[in-house]
Amino acid sequence: MEDSEAIEQLRLCAGCPKMCRHMCPTFLAWRSDSPTPHGRALLMYQDAKGTRALDERAIEVLYQCLECSQCLTWCLPQVDIATMVENERMRLVNEGRYPRGLDKISSAIKTNHNPFAEPHGKRNKWFVPTKTQGKKILYFTGCTAAYHENGIARSTVSILSHLGYKVSVTPDEWCCGSPLFRTGFRNLGIEQARHNADTLNKSEGEQIVVTCPGCFRAFTKDYPQLGIELKKPVLHISQLLEKHLDALRAVDFGGPITYHDPCHLGRHSGIYDPPRKVIERVSGTKVVEMARSRENAMCCGNGAGMRTLFTDQASTIGDARVSQAREVGAKFLVTSCPFCKNMLASRAGKMLIVLDLPEMVLAAFDSTSKVKM
Amino acid sequence: MLDTRTKAKLVEQIEAIVGPDHFTTDETDAVLNAHDAWPLSEAKIRAGETLPLADVIVYPSSTEEVSKILRVANDLRVPVVPVGGGAGTCGGTQPTYGGIQLDLKRMDKILAIDGESLLVRVQAGTVGIDLEEEVNRHGYTTGHTPTSLRASNVGGFIATRSGGSMSSLYGKIEDLTLGLEVVLADGSVVRCKAVPRHSVGPDLRQLFIGSEGTLCVITEATLRLFPLPPSRHFRSMCFPDVHSGLMAIRAIFREGIFPSVVRLYDAEDTALHVSTHFEVEEGNCMLMLAFDGRPEKVDIDESISARICIENGAKDYGEGPSKYWWEHRYDMYYPTKFATSGFSVGDTIDIVATYDRLENVYHEMKRVMEAHGAAVMSHFSHMYPNGGSIYMIFFVSQPDAESAWATYREIWDDGVAACLREGGTMSHQHGVGTTRSTYTEAELGSSFEVLKKIKEVLDPNGIMNPGKLGMGGHT
Repeated sequence: MEDSEAIEQLRLCAGCPKMCRHMCPTFLAWRSDSPTPHGRALLMYQDAKGTRALDERAIEVLYQCLECSQCLTWCLPQVDIATMVENERMRLVNEGRYPRGLDKISSAIKTNHNPFAEPHGKRNKWFVPTKTQGKKILYFTGCTAAYHENGIARSTVSILSHLGYKVSVTPDEWCCGSPLFRTGFRNLGIEQARHNADTLNKSEGEQIVVTCPGCFRAFTKDYPQLGIELKKPVLHISQLLEKHLDALRAVDFGGPITYHDPCHLGRHSGIYDPPRKVIERVSGTKVVEMARSRENAMCCGNGAGMRTLFTDQASTIGDARVSQAREVGAKFLVTSCPFCKNMLASRAGKMLIVLDLPEMVLAAFDSTSKVKM
Repeated sequence: MLDTRTKAKLVEQIEAIVGPDHFTTDETDAVLNAHDAWPLSEAKIRAGETLPLADVIVYPSSTEEVSKILRVANDLRVPVVPVGGGAGTCGGTQPTYGGIQLDLKRMDKILAIDGESLLVRVQAGTVGIDLEEEVNRHGYTTGHTPTSLRASNVGGFIATRSGGSMSSLYGKIEDLTLGLEVVLADGSVVRCKAVPRHSVGPDLRQLFIGSEGTLCVITEATLRLFPLPPSRHFRSMCFPDVHSGLMAIRAIFREGIFPSVVRLYDAEDTALHVSTHFEVEEGNCMLMLAFDGRPEKVDIDESISARICIENGAKDYGEGPSKYWWEHRYDMYYPTKFATSGFSVGDTIDIVATYDRLENVYHEMKRVMEAHGAAVMSHFSHMYPNGGSIYMIFFVSQPDAESAWATYREIWDDGVAACLREGGTMSHQHGVGTTRSTYTEAELGSSFEVLKKIKEVLDPNGIMNPGKLGMGGHT
């Protein structure tokens, strides 16, 4: 986007009487006019126009954004504030003017290739190779499933084996770069991207499957925009499972199931139906939709550095999303993102069972006739 | 702006009340809170100008905290500007003299929905759409749906004496507010009981409704509810001119029919907002109607209204334009590239008058506003058996900021003067705020002195939203 076009977009948002604010998760968390799409736009507009430069608080406000793009769903002129915030963050990082709390993510990725500062050697500790001799598929695990949500990773391998795939993982998998792209560390993200592209392009897998929508968006949107080519098809697990609906096992889950659309999978990649089809096939019931779903789904609160920098507010957003699931009487809250699952499960308490899609599918495979959770 | 010593004292005491996380003295937050949806503020921001800033923004969570904050402000003689959704169009939340902006957005609880008495008790900081969607889930509507519904909140509705787009049937906010809790400048909490009506002296609720933060801070309200209507029909009728459309509207009310929506667009507004989607003969004026209620009643009301319109020379457009408007009613609230380019500024003077004066007010205002080179378009909405409101919408673009702001002010001055001269009242539902503050005395005439005396008693130090509602600055 040209500078003049960006300023015009910011002008529209800065001049709007806040028609999307009521849907912005960070407005919900802070109940202030500052961390809102309008607030971010006004700060960037004034900076661009030379009215008022970004100060430390303004920079903080720009990092109080989940980049979830829900505002875009409610924006008639289609001003993409999330992208503009992301571009602004890149400038701030290049100038060394970003919240220092992000250093622990960026330095961990730089040294350990994951944002959790876990040893790289532990990345595939969870993996137990199976003996299936079918179509070769490489599972790019993603950092959250590899280190914090091993159940998702193991479930994925198990399901893929059930479906006849020969699953491999690679010891050379690095962070996909998504947390870096979203928080402005683009150059460091590019390093990860180039490494991953080299690794994946050389791998034996005929296709690549991911469970993390952050990885999926990085591979299918960010990498191509950066001119980094993956020479194999990339599928999100929900897309792959949709192709095998008949092979999935259906059982009675014993209660209403709702689905949380991850922002990277839904609004950013347009994938809404495949996970729903899988859930409906496996449970034999319709997904009970939350009041805010699909294009209008609320973010879980975990994205774009929010949980790292503003833990309490991220949790407030997670709590709100869990409440929305409870409001529709759900017993199960299923998502299709290890990062979302991690946040939602941490806020759900005992009355709501949070599952990632592969965990749900495997539960059906492993059960007799009724899933007990 | 406050002097350093007063500000330090204020901040210390505010922190003791709300804690360190619920107030800010940061300039960035003040900049982001400095404007509401007043078109002149927005135009100035676009032009790179800065606006008056508050010294402190406080986010209370309870009536008790509001009370303590006001006591402190009153002791220190610090201006207090209550802020709701910040969606007002008159600069009502602008902190003209600095001081405290008391931002009520954390007071957002829906406290009780009473299906037996059809009431909802709600905190002032609840956003309108959140309230409406919640009561919808219980099978009710508040009947209050202004175009700003996504951005404005309950306290703002009441403070500005607002009206929703279906107000001809459901009523305005003063009809819908049964109970009220407010805090006065000295920190005392006043509660007006929620009853359908009473005869225990004057209705003091009405003193606070529309007081725009100059007399009190609204903290809680009990609002009426209506069962969601089983059906809603739309009907559109196209008239050769404004006069015949108004004749039809008047006749519909005389039949005892109260449509939920009554909007008559003049030729210019029809050309801009209707002809772009429907074939309409140039110069014609579109009337949009909606009818809520049981299907049998709606059918009868609609057919009688249609007959009246046709008898007054209308062409029947079916549900099309009216339904289209309903489905896109929020669209006009979004800015466009055209309306925000260069030194452009537009605004709406939402006047009200009785039928005998309404057309004269319309023609005269249009004449004087157009004399400044403004594009003027209007619609008549929020209609009653005795008269109605006109949205006199203008748009002007100038080569530089100075002439743009001056022309904007001249249009307002001449438009309001014409309105008053012809017997209208200068605002139907948007309020006074900063835009109309200097006209208030002329508008209210002898009753302005009463308002001033009430202000002097309730707010002797003049801390409550100074500069608004014609009340001048703080002492």
